[in-house]
Amino acid sequence: MKQLLTTIIICFIAITALAQSIKISGEVAAPTELKLADMAQYPQTEVSRKDRDGKDHKYTGVLLSTILQKAGATLGKDLKGENLTKYITVEASDGYQVLFALAELDKDFTDRQIILATKIDGQPLALADGPFRIIVEGEKKPARCIKQVTAIKVAFAK
Amino acid sequence: MVLLLAFVGTITSWTYDPVPIGPYQFNYPTNFGNRTFIPDDNPTTKEGVYLGRMLFYETALSANNKISCGTCHQQALAFTDGKAFSTGVDGSLTSRSSMSLANMLWSRKLFWDGRSNALEGQAAIPMQNPHEMGQMMQTTVRKLSRKMPYPELFDKVFGKEEGINGVTIIKAIAQFERTLISANSKYDQYLQGKHKPTKQELQGLALFNNAPQPAKSIRGANCSRCHGGVKTYMELFHNNGLDTVGKDAGIGSLTALATDQGRFKAPTLRNIALTAPYMHDGRFKNLDEVLDHYSDHIKTSAALSDIFRGASNRKDGTQLSLKADEKKAIIAFLSMLTDDTFIHDPRFSDPHIAATISNK
Ligand code: HEC
Ligand code: HEC
Repeated sequence: MKQLLTTIIICFIAITALAQSIKISGEVAAPTELKLADMAQYPQTEVSRKDRDGKDHKYTGVLLSTILQKAGATLGKDLKGENLTKYITVEASDGYQVLFALAELDKDFTDRQIILATKIDGQPLALADGPFRIIVEGEKKPARCIKQVTAIKVAFAK
Repeated sequence: MVLLLAFVGTITSWTYDPVPIGPYQFNYPTNFGNRTFIPDDNPTTKEGVYLGRMLFYETALSANNKISCGTCHQQALAFTDGKAFSTGVDGSLTSRSSMSLANMLWSRKLFWDGRSNALEGQAAIPMQNPHEMGQMMQTTVRKLSRKMPYPELFDKVFGKEEGINGVTIIKAIAQFERTLISANSKYDQYLQGKHKPTKQELQGLALFNNAPQPAKSIRGANCSRCHGGVKTYMELFHNNGLDTVGKDAGIGSLTALATDQGRFKAPTLRNIALTAPYMHDGRFKNLDEVLDHYSDHIKTSAALSDIFRGASNRKDGTQLSLKADEKKAIIAFLSMLTDDTFIHDPRFSDPHIAATISNK
């Protein structure tokens, strides 16, 4: 019985997750809509951090810089000059928004990894957190580990 | 006789206040921040606001000439109407409860489900909805074109080429709505160091802001997670546990996602003591019922906001479990959000009433 229930719940999560996507827009060469299925094509990165339960968890996902570079954001060798005044806003399904400077995401600038996670301890994220969640390695407050991400926008600070 | 008629005609067009001209200066405290939303193609002008106010209270915008925006959005009730559902031109009820219109200048996602993304897009909806004002835009344009002093006023605001049309009507109303700023409640005065709250109000404020942490003996109600900040509005959309499966799915009926079921705007709590009944369907008659809900009756579902899960003042509790005096304290704090200046500000009142009075 319990197993059946779990299966139903997992199916339910899977259906919801499939329907959801992230809109990537703004100062990018190729605006896209990223689906959960698209994530498998990228190298997977693991980041550990404590959740609200106070315990360490292993989050798996794709480096935000990889996804943004694929969409044509000016990272890597293009991240200089006026491009250093660029930032991204990440929006959640409840309307909550957080911001990162583009340079915070670039591995030529920092070793701190910021990923778009899809799994926690090898399992899909909980409904209330997923299907996509940003995980910021080593950041003390959880406020920018934004849950239920629906949109990422690249912009110039004006 | 002819002379007399001409005289009366002049009087009628004079009885409205003279039309001010020039860019409109918004006045608000610096702690409100400047993240305001004004579209480039509709800058706020004094003459535009003047016209928008006339239109907001203009019953000719409705099919039966009896309903204006001001019918469902009354100033004395912080621009609500005191009803769970409002009656439209065809006598039927709106499907949701009317919303307070305060501090729209900082608002981008309108309606209980956030489906409209600018005041310029929003107003056409109640105007043409058969259950609200129920009149096609062309009819409204025709009626206004024949009604003094509109033709002259529209020319003044938008130029002769534009004149009266569906777009200019909406733009003027939006300009007026942006001026509805509520920033002089006791809470504002307290934040500016000009008001000393009672002990009970301060207890309520602390509970409103704190997350409950029974392990550290910190009592809290966590309201500020969704209704926080100076404006008590953060443009967030959540399922706040009203139902397991509700009649109205809110955002869920737009997206069909499991996590969006029963998800609605967490509205501003400014003037909340004046805007009963509460929630999108007006199910709670007073603030006591609202506090009972948050304290003891949050219903779990897949879409319930994560913020409520495991938030309790009892160790391992599943509900907030506030004490009776704590609920009273939060209500005392909420009453500090009433802004008497706002609900009595003559700039926001019905200009046609003033004009009729001075006509007599
Ligand atoms: C018959 C009653 C009625 C009339 C008339 C009416 N409204 Fe509303 N108003 C409502 C209701 C009900 C809602 C909430 C609707 C929803 O969420 O689906 C609302 C919501 C709004 C909102 C959204 C507020 C927010 O914070 O999201 C604005 C703005 C608004 N009305 C402006 C107007 C304007 C301008 C007019 C006149 C053109 C008008 N209304 C006429 C009942 C009315
Ligand atoms: C997780 C977000 C969240 C938290 C936390 C929260 N609310 Fe709400 N609140 C909402 C939402 C969403 C609505 C609208 C729900 C609806 O109508 O379906 C709402 C509605 C209300 C209303 C009715 C507003 C109106 O115009 O009808 C009041 C009053 C209110 N909340 C007070 C509080 C208080 C007091 C607390 C703390 C005990 C609190 N809220 C905590 C999200 C939240």
